[in-house]
Parts: sequence; C-alpha cells; structure tokens
Amino acid sequence: MKEVVLTAKEATAIEGWSKPSQQRSVEILSRYPDKRSAVMPLLYISMIENGYVTEDGMRQVGLLTGLSPAQVQSVASFYTMYKREPIGDYLVGVCTSISCFLLGADDVLAAIEDESGVPDGESGGDGTFSIEHVECNGACGGAPVVLVNWEMIEGVTPEKARELVRWLRDGRPDVVNTEEMQRLFGGKRAFDWGVKEPVGAILPVPAFGPYGSVGGEAT
Amino acid sequence: MKILTERMEAHRTDSHTIERYEATGGYTALRKGLLELGAEAVAAEVKASNLRGRGGANFPAGVKWGFLAPAKPAYLVVNGDESEPGTFKDRQLLERDPHQLVEGVILSSFALDVHHAFIYIRGEYPKPARRLQDAVDEAYEKGYLGSDILGSGFDLDVTIHLGGGAYICGEESALLNSLEGRRGEPRIKPPFPAIEGLYSKPTIVNNVETLSNVPWIVNNGGVAYARIGPDTSAGTRMISLSGHVENPGNYEIVMGMPWREIIYGLGGGIPGGRELKAWIPGGSSAPWFVPAEHLDVPATIDDTDSNGSMMGSGAIIVMDDSTDMVKAAHRIVRFYSHESCGQCTPCREGTTWLERILYRIVSGQGRHADIELLLDISDGISPGLTWPPLMTTICPLGPSATAPVVSLMQYFRHEVEAMIGDDDG
Amino acid sequence: MADRELVTITIDGVEMQGPAGEVLIKVAEDNGNFIPRFCWHPRMKPVGMCRMCLVEVIGPRGPMLLPSCTTRVTDGMEVDTQSTVVKKAQEGVLEYLLINHPLDCPICDKGGECPLQDHTMAYGPGESRFVEEKRHYEKPIPISELVLLDRERCILCARCTRFSEEISGDPLIEFKDRGNAVQVITFPDEPFASYFSGNTVQICPVGALTATPYRFKARPWDLEAVESVSLVDSVGSKVSVQSSQNSVVRIDGIDNEPTNQGWLSDKDRFIFESIHSDNRLTTPLIKQDGKFVETGWGEALDYVAEKLSDMTGEVVAGLGGANNTNEEAFAFGKFLRTIVVTPHIDAQLDDGLDPHFLVGVTPRAAIPDLETAKTILLWAGDLKEEYPVLYLRVRRAAAELGAKLIVVHPRATGLDDVAAHKIRYRPGRGPDVLRELRGGAEDYAEARSALDEGPVVAIVGRTGLAENPRLAEGVAAFVRDLPGGKILPLARRGNIVGALDMGLAPTLLPGRVSETSAHDLLEAEWGPLPESRALDATGILEGLRDGELEALIMLGVDPVRDHPEPQLARSALESAQLVVAFDHFLSDSTQLADVVLPVEGFAEVEGTVTNIEGRVQKVNRLVPGPGQTRPVWSALDDLARRMGGDLGAPSAAALAKEIERVAPVYHGVTWDALDWGEGREGLLLPIEDGVQHLEYIPVDDGLAPVNARYGLHLGRVLYDDGVRTRMSPSLAALAPEAKVYLNSTDAKVLGLEEGAVATVESAYGSAELPVAIDESLGRTTVYVPANLAATAELGAAVAVVVSKGEAS
Repeated sequence: MKEVVLTAKEATAIEGWSKPSQQRSVEILSRYPDKRSAVMPLLYISMIENGYVTEDGMRQVGLLTGLSPAQVQSVASFYTMYKREPIGDYLVGVCTSISCFLLGADDVLAAIEDESGVPDGESGGDGTFSIEHVECNGACGGAPVVLVNWEMIEGVTPEKARELVRWLRDGRPDVVNTEEMQRLFGGKRAFDWGVKEPVGAILPVPAFGPYGSVGGEAT
Repeated sequence: MKILTERMEAHRTDSHTIERYEATGGYTALRKGLLELGAEAVAAEVKASNLRGRGGANFPAGVKWGFLAPAKPAYLVVNGDESEPGTFKDRQLLERDPHQLVEGVILSSFALDVHHAFIYIRGEYPKPARRLQDAVDEAYEKGYLGSDILGSGFDLDVTIHLGGGAYICGEESALLNSLEGRRGEPRIKPPFPAIEGLYSKPTIVNNVETLSNVPWIVNNGGVAYARIGPDTSAGTRMISLSGHVENPGNYEIVMGMPWREIIYGLGGGIPGGRELKAWIPGGSSAPWFVPAEHLDVPATIDDTDSNGSMMGSGAIIVMDDSTDMVKAAHRIVRFYSHESCGQCTPCREGTTWLERILYRIVSGQGRHADIELLLDISDGISPGLTWPPLMTTICPLGPSATAPVVSLMQYFRHEVEAMIGDDDG
Repeated sequence: MADRELVTITIDGVEMQGPAGEVLIKVAEDNGNFIPRFCWHPRMKPVGMCRMCLVEVIGPRGPMLLPSCTTRVTDGMEVDTQSTVVKKAQEGVLEYLLINHPLDCPICDKGGECPLQDHTMAYGPGESRFVEEKRHYEKPIPISELVLLDRERCILCARCTRFSEEISGDPLIEFKDRGNAVQVITFPDEPFASYFSGNTVQICPVGALTATPYRFKARPWDLEAVESVSLVDSVGSKVSVQSSQNSVVRIDGIDNEPTNQGWLSDKDRFIFESIHSDNRLTTPLIKQDGKFVETGWGEALDYVAEKLSDMTGEVVAGLGGANNTNEEAFAFGKFLRTIVVTPHIDAQLDDGLDPHFLVGVTPRAAIPDLETAKTILLWAGDLKEEYPVLYLRVRRAAAELGAKLIVVHPRATGLDDVAAHKIRYRPGRGPDVLRELRGGAEDYAEARSALDEGPVVAIVGRTGLAENPRLAEGVAAFVRDLPGGKILPLARRGNIVGALDMGLAPTLLPGRVSETSAHDLLEAEWGPLPESRALDATGILEGLRDGELEALIMLGVDPVRDHPEPQLARSALESAQLVVAFDHFLSDSTQLADVVLPVEGFAEVEGTVTNIEGRVQKVNRLVPGPGQTRPVWSALDDLARRMGGDLGAPSAAALAKEIERVAPVYHGVTWDALDWGEGREGLLLPIEDGVQHLEYIPVDDGLAPVNARYGLHLGRVLYDDGVRTRMSPSLAALAPEAKVYLNSTDAKVLGLEEGAVATVESAYGSAELPVAIDESLGRTTVYVPANLAATAELGAAVAVVVSKGEAS
C-alpha cells in the first residue's frame, strides 16, 4: 500500500470531519493505485459525517479524488445505498424481489408502512424511520427478509415486522445487531449463521470496519 | 462429496476463524503452491480441474486465466457482488469460511503473477465483508499476505471494496468500472478484461465460489476435481433453493441429479400439500421450467442449456400452484428494469416499458394487444427470442428481463388472458 | 491513421476498403454507406450506447448483431446493414427512443436538422404503441448563461457528457441516476460554465441542448450559410456562418482536420452578436468641437485627403490590420507605402513577438505535428484562455495520444491536469528558468530528459504581457537543438500572421520578405517606396506624443487598451494633429480620433486569412454590412483617388490576384485553390514547391532576470473587455471580475485576505482590486488578468507594489 499525504487543500476540505474519519480517508486512498477508486468508500464516510450524501459531501469527496462535483454526483446517484436526501435513524428495507415476494414480502412491507406510519420510499416519524422496498438482498432461502441499517433479519412475518418497528421506535437502540434482531423478530434462515457476532450498525451505512459505522464490541 | 462446505458443517461455531482454518488443513495448499509447485503448476492444476465459473456464465476458469495478457501490473478481482435474485451461496461462503476464499485468492494471484487483488463485495453484505476483512487482516498478521509470503518472495496485497447497491456490478466489466470509482456501466467488449481490465491493465475476474475451490484443487490435484461429476459440469457446486419449497437453503451438490431430486429430495417438496407449478433453474434471469416437461432433465450445465434455460448462478426458485404467474413475472421484470444501468436504449426504455405494461395488466387495465406487444418489445431487446439469447444491448441484463415474459407467455398465456378478461378494446 | 494497412470488407455486397482497425461505421461512411447513429461521433471514443448503428456481421457462427461504431474492420469482413434483423433493431431503437420523447418538433430549435427526426422518417416505425405516461421533467432549464437543457427531449447519447470529460476536460455536465431515471444534469450551483459549451449544443442529436443566442431565431430551412474562418484567435478554426434575413444568427464549427477538428470556443461561436450590435458604427463621423458629428463618406474622405495631402508622408503612421483579411491588410500597407509614402507601419502593438520570428522561424511546427509529437513544450500564455481551440488540440495530444506535456507558466493553467511536468516561475525569472531547464538542473531534470525524446513541438509565446518578448526566442533557440524540435510561435489577434505577411510591420514587405531584401523588387511593381528607417508601434506612439509624427491611421486597433503603456497610447492619440480610424465601434482609442470611418467586417467581406501555422484559408461574405459601412479596400481606394493617387484596388478579388503576384510566399495561393479540393483545408505556406525567402533563426539573447519585490503576471482571460466581446451581449456577461491573485503566505504578510481590497501599483498606473488567494502562484508573484476595465491602467510592468487598499 502506498503512502498518501493530503495536500493542504484536501486536508482543509475535510477538516470538519472527525479525526477517525480523516484518518480512514487517508488509509482508503492508500489502498488503491488510482485515487478515483476511493470515491465509493469515501462517499460512505461522508454519509457518516454529514448524515447523508450532501452537496458539500460530494464536493469534499471530489476534492479528495480529483473529480468534479458533477462526476461525484454521477457516481453517487448510480448506486441506491448512497442516500442523497436526509434519512431517518433507522433505514428499514424490505426485500420484495421474487423469492421474498413468493413468501409474502408485500404483506411485510405493508405492515411496516402501517406500523411506522411512513410510506414506502419516504422518511418520517420525527426522523426515526426511512422505509424502502429493496431488491434482492441475498437471503432468498430465509425469505422474507428485512434489513435495518443493512443488518439483516430473515424469515420475518407481518406481525414480527410490526414488533420490530415498535422495538425500534420505543427502544431506539444505539446499535442494531443482526443477531439480536434475528432472535427477536426473525424466523427461518437461509443457512446456519454459526457463531453469534456481537457487532452491528450505528447508522444507515453498512457496518464494515474500514469505512462503515460499526458498533458494539470490536471485531 | 463436500469441498466448500465441509469445514462449516463440521465446525459450526468457528469455521471462519484462522485457528480453525489452519487446524483443518487451511493454508497447506498455499505452502504447497508457493513453495513446491510454482506459479505455472498451480495454473496448470486449475486448468486441469475443468472448474467452470460459478458466477453465472459457467466459463472455464483455467481457460479464462490463459487469456491474461502479459502487460504488468495485472490484477485479480473477485466478484462478490452476489445479486441475482434467488442467489445467496457466496454470502454463506464468505461468512462461514472466508479463509478458504483468501487462500484461493493468494494461490490464484500467485499463479497469475498478480500483486494486488481486489475483492468486490456488494454493499448490502456488511457481515460477509466484516468476516472477510477479519480473515484478510489475520492473513496479513500470519504472513500469508503482504511481502515475501512464506519466504517465497511473492508479494500480495488484498483490498476489499464494498459496493453501493447496483445489481449490474455483478457483470464483470461493470464491476471494474465501479471499482475504478465510476458508474457501474458494463463496458464494450472486446477488449475483454483479461486484455484491458482494471485501470486498463490485464485483469482476471472470478467469482467467490470459483476461487474458493482453488485450495482444494491445489491440495488434491486438478485431475481429482475434474473426476467429480459429469465431464462438462465437473466438481461440486453450490445451489441455492428458495421459494415454495420445504427446505430452502444452500446445498453443495455434484451436478447431474434430475431436477425432481433437487426439488423433492433436497428441497423436501412443496409445503402445505401444494403442487409444483414452475421453477426457475438458475437465477431469476433464467427461463422457467415446468413439471410436465423438465422434472427429469438432469441438473447439469449442458442439459439445462439444451432444454432452453441455464444453471446460471445456481439459484433455484420454486413456485407452487398458488402463485399468480403474471405477478411473479412482473416482479422479476421490475427487478431488471430497476437495475438497468441506462446505457443501452433497448434495455433502458424496453425493460421499463415491459414493467409498466405488466403492472397495468396486474392492476386490471390490461388489453389483449398487450400480449403481442410484450413479446415484440422483448424481441426488440433479444432478437428472435432464442436460447441462448441474442441481444441488441451491450450486456445480458436487458435480455434477462425478457426471459420471464417469454416463459409466462409460453406456459401461462391463459393466465394473462384471464387476467385481462374482456378489455372492451 | 493514414499509414495503416488497408483491408477489404464487403457491405451489402459491395466491396470497399478501409484502414485495418478503423470502426466499421466510419469505413462505411467514407465509402458512401451511411449507417444511422446517435451516440457515435467521429471525434470521440465510441461507446456503443444508443444501439442505432447495429448491423449484422457475418461470422463463423452465422450473422451477429453488432454496433458498427465499436466493431473494428478486419480483412474479409462481411456486413449486412439491410437485413430484416437489422431493420427490426433500428425500428425498435427508434420506437424506444420516442416513447419518452415529447415530439414537440414544431417549437424545437432542432426541428428540420434533427437526427432523431430524420432517422425516424428513414428508419422508424410508423406509429407508437406506447400508451403509458411519458417521463416528465421541468423544461427547459438554464445550465449556464449560454445553454438550456430540455431533459424530456434528451435521448441520453452521452455526446455532451463525453465531450466535456474527454475533449474539453471540464466535466461539469454528467449523467445522474440510473436506468430509466438517467438524466443529463450539472451539479447544483455549478453551472456548465465551460469555454466550450456551445460544442455540446452543436453535437446534440436532438433539441435537448440549445444555445440562448440562437434560441427561436430561425428555422434551419430558412438559413443561408457560408464557410469561413473564425478570427477570435489565430488558430484559423473553420466555421459555418449562418444567417436569416440578412442577419447572422449562428456559427457552427466545421471539422477541418488540421485545425479545429469541428470544435470551437464559445467566443468563436457567439461573438457574431457584435456584428449586429446597436452600437455598430454605420455612418462616418467627424469630430467638431470635441464631438462626433455624422457625415457622409464623400465629406469624410475629402477631409482626410486634404489633411493628409498637406503633410509629408513620413510624419504619418499606420497601426493595425491584424483583425482584417489579407486583402484589406495588403491594401492598407500599399496605401501607406505608396499613397501616403510612409514606412511607419505596425500591425502589432508591442504586445506580441518580433515579426521576423513570427513569420519566419524555422523549423516551424504546424498544428498537426502535435499528433505525432513525443514531447510538447508549452511556454506561452494559458492556452485555455488565449487559444482555446489549440488548447483542445494540445489536451488531445497529451491525454489521448501519449505526448509528454511540459507546461512552463507562472501559475496553474488549464492544461496542468494532463501535463507530465509543470514548471512555475516568478515573472522576471524566465531567463533563469530557461538556463536551468537547458542545463538539466535538479528540479527540472525529468522535464529535461523528456525533451530528449523527439519529435518535440514547442509552443512559444509570452506567458503574460509583462514578459520580455525576447525570452520566447531564447526558448525557441533551445528547442532548435532538441531532437526533431519544431517551433510554433504564438501571437494574438485573428489574422496577425496574415497582416505581417502583407507587410504590416516596420521591417517586412508583402510575401514574408524583409524590407531590405525586397525593397527594390517591390519598387519595380509599386513605384518609389519610402526610404527612411521605419518605426514600430511604440516608436510611432512616442513620435506622435513628442510631435515628431503628426498623423495616425488606425485599422481596427485599440492601442489605449492593448498597448503595454496605455498612458503613452492615450497621449499619442491626443497629441496627434490627425487621427483617422477605420473601425466597427467607438473604442477607447477611436473615441480619440478625428475621423471615424465605418467599415464592413467578418461575414460581410470576402478574402483570405493566415493562421499561426501559416495556413491560408478563405473567409466569405454572407450578409451586407449595416448602414453606410464599406469594405476597407474600397474606402482606401477612394481615399487614394482623392489624394491624387491610384491604389489599384477595385475589388477584394483583384487585391487577391495582386497579392498572389507580388507577395513571394503567396505565389500559387488563389481563391480558386482555396475554394475547391484539398485547398479547403487551407494551404500551408510555403505551399508545395513554394519558397520562403525569410528564414529566421532565433537566438538566445541571454536576457537578465528582472528583480522586483513583486513580479506581475499579466495574463489574458478569454472573456476580456475587448470591444467585440463587450458588444456581444451573451459574452459580455461572462467577463470575470478583475481581482489581484496572491498566494496565501504573501496575502498574510500583507495583511490581506480573500475579498479584501489591495492596491497594485506599477510604473504606469495603479488599480484597487479585491484579493483572491491562488496557491498555484509562487511567493511574491502577483497575477492580474489583463484587459479588464479595472486593470487596464496597470500597463505591462513586471514589477509592481502591492499594499493594503484604502478601503480595507
């Protein structure tokens, strides 16, 4: 991995970011032969820092990667996980692709919309929820699947989905953990998950160490 | 016969740890490959194994490696963007046995003279990515990655790259664009990635499952692998069963058993005493199979293909007799319309047009003329509606959206007509 | 491309040849078989997106449907462009494109010249089967001061986005979102402020991008058009000038291989607005009691003739001619030398380079040499600002063709992102940098070794107005010794090389010959020529100021704005007994004239022009000049007669014939040769078998560096405050605010911050300017854009003093 030192201009652009995010940004840039490759990881970090992919965030990422803001916007808008509008604390996604559809995903989605009061594709509940239907998330054997901040729950029924919404709304957990939610609200799984994993997501950004929002015990 | 899932089945709590991996023969293939065999011999074993790509296209991995152009640097990119509806096998391999993949990546990079490998994991897979990152970190600590691996003089860095939510990035050239920080739009081919890939350098792109087989092949020899299963469907492979089936899940199988055995044997049949209506044999882009015609077709790559469908990514989606086939087709078409990158006119406009007509029919606003229209729009995306499909597009995503339309009209046209009813038009 | 092996292919049963590896669509088109397309453009990389150009290529496993824009021809290839499958695919693509298209052709600027419309008629389905709701967007939205975007009309061919990323290097317009939701758009609050935005309007295959200056002005079938050459800079970009009802309404680029390859800057494209400006002079003016009074041509010319006849020739001088045709410049020179009989003539204003160097440097590079150059040394002004089309050619060479680009300039330039080496220096230190680069000093070692890889093309000029013009010659002298080293000298103003070639310099006579060598030969044609030592522009202005000269005739020049010492120019014009100006507008200089004569200009006159390479091209007349405007040659011919002489200039065509006869390097350059055949690309001087008598070998004078507390970089900006820009409303709005640029350390030392007001003082004058921080400037380097109203008084001094302004 190559050594990366930010220019004064680059460093200034992200001086408002937390120290860990600044350090991670430099590390991410060091992982690729071409800094343009860091766009997607850096967009995740900008979401952590700014709450969603803001215009400023795209400018910041552009400065770090040598792209114009329009180019960053072009990339960010291609991918569905980069949210370009403010989102709730809990991004609840319901897979409604074919396998989940066959096993009642539409009813699960309807239950979540009803219980949260937030329609599909929108945010509400005083910033608590964003609800969206998503395409296949690779849990077809455990359909229907629901994701909270990209942490997965398999085999969800409409009733359990309502409980999940209430649990999130009333308990407002700091970290959502796939193991815990699966135990509380899940059913049949696509496969044996093996040992429990204690970590989860803090924000609606995938809880991946190098540029995500991992909470719970360190891995 | 189990290759990929043996460890995770035997050790359900810790198959993903380096301790368990090493205690069960892990990284012995690496020693053998790097210290005894040498790069050419490793490549020769993979070629001899007849291992075919497990991402969906089933192209022989050894042959693909042979296309790698000599220019340096070259790159290995692992396709972990598992997104084809019905498919969830790579997720299990990543979560439960990540070191198996890491060892496969190191061996393959060694064979290909690659010094920087990238593993592209779909953004919706944070847990698999975490497990894999832990495995990579452990491999660095143990000296399996980094410089002068095992004293062999071979250096390798591995970067895990998380996607951002785009099915199309499973197409290898779109994946490379995404990895370069661009929109995940498939590239024009030729040039193929082996000639001009990542950063315009020679690049091999292999699927997670494909490379997870490499340690076993190096340990046991390519010939031993080739001997498993039918000639042109060698080795074991993961299949993912979902939908209306008693025992959904991933199964590592030797190819060749008839579809009946997969659905009724492994799958345990249809729940609730219902009847099988149709199934999709290789991911949602595959044409449908129906019990009257296909239950006794052997589940091999070639037999599935010659019967007008494909094994694809090994995802089998089962539909029982309660299924509204028009709605099911609409749901699949909606997926491809949503995931179209938007480059090619026929795919961008055509898949969306298909989706809107189907939605109109499902909503009770269908017209009888829509049936021919759906087929003609499909024909504009995939001329002749033949199998394997021809395309007016750069990549096969567009034609994928036509498969459910054609299957719907082929087997369940009466259901469409019934739904349209009397359209007064 | 030219030396590639030819292969034979068969299309629809017809055998044809094309270069191996060329794309099929191009080979077909070159052989007269047009394959329909939307996204493919011959000057951009193929992307195969629109799928309109699908054809069947017969392969070993039968016919394959392939896009002809990405398929490379191989020997023996067999192609079917007419099969049922192809026709069905074409119909399909058009039907898909039309389902979301608004079909608002009757109110669309593109209607009548729209590829989507044309292809639909030729290849499309009879009717649409689409009954769903179309995609809707707010329409049209302004994405810059000049361009409007209608996303409903857009067919997503990506020509505009690719142009801005691949060709012009300012990716401000991009795809956004995915699939059916893809749209072309800019970033919020970042308009498509590209100097090249008009090209995207021209190449848009539908009416999605339209230009405000042309919007709703005309329908294509009402347009009349001629080919001509842009005179905004001296690249010689080929243009199509288009008019409706005798009014120029649009300029498009024409693809001329050696020069602009189809592209234009927005200044080239939209400056036509000045032609029909309300401020255009339409009547001769004579100053009475300090005020201009309208008069007739006869009265005005009699007045001038009488005044001039009372003077001896050598107290009269002429300035200008670089914004005119060769024929006009020739007539001006002949008038001064044979009717007035004065040697004091200069087309430059001490703001360019030595005229002998400009026209005679050897070995001279042509623009196409950039295509094969291994290394390009750019030591001149910022091309993006001064020579936008040449900037595109250099960008292409560096970004696409693999040339190593070395940019030497006081601050960041538009080409830095594709430069292999950037050398920045403080104004005044240029001679040191040249010495160190030549010697391969440590900082420049890599750049120096790149220069050992030929062929080397050096583009040399003055990085700024304050730079000594001899430095460029020092650079050229160095480049001569490099492997395959060739030199392209740069000077500003559209037809500067043509004007010099016509003898509008103190030491040159028509035909690229020196006064001393050709004096006697020309006397044989023209009769007695002035003998005394000729003054250059600065000499002329000093002579007028000091009373040694009495009269000045100006042809399209504005010395008060453009001479490095504005105060000198102003006092010269004020002191002169007689100032006569041939012009289009009242400028800072013509305001001071005694007689102003309104003349015809671009698009109103026919003639030739010569670009920086020495390429002669034809400009053509499309519309009559307004009011009483006359062609320059006609006015001069008339004036000569009133002075009792005979200029022999009955028409521009007659002048062209005389040039061909008496101007040596122009032998063989006729209007006919330029209007037909290969000459339409322009004839590069000396033309084949031609001889160039003046060959200039640059030498390094060993200039001493200039030391000062702050070195001034006085650089040009594209949208300056020049009179033609000011009179083009669409462009005038784009001129940047005048500022003084400093690096942050200097600013701190001076107690200044971004936006604060600083006083900049030079030997000539001072300016109060807001401060902008520019980290690409070295310490103690000050950048001020030249020729903006607020900076004009500074003149061209290297040394300046910067201090906190009174307001801050």
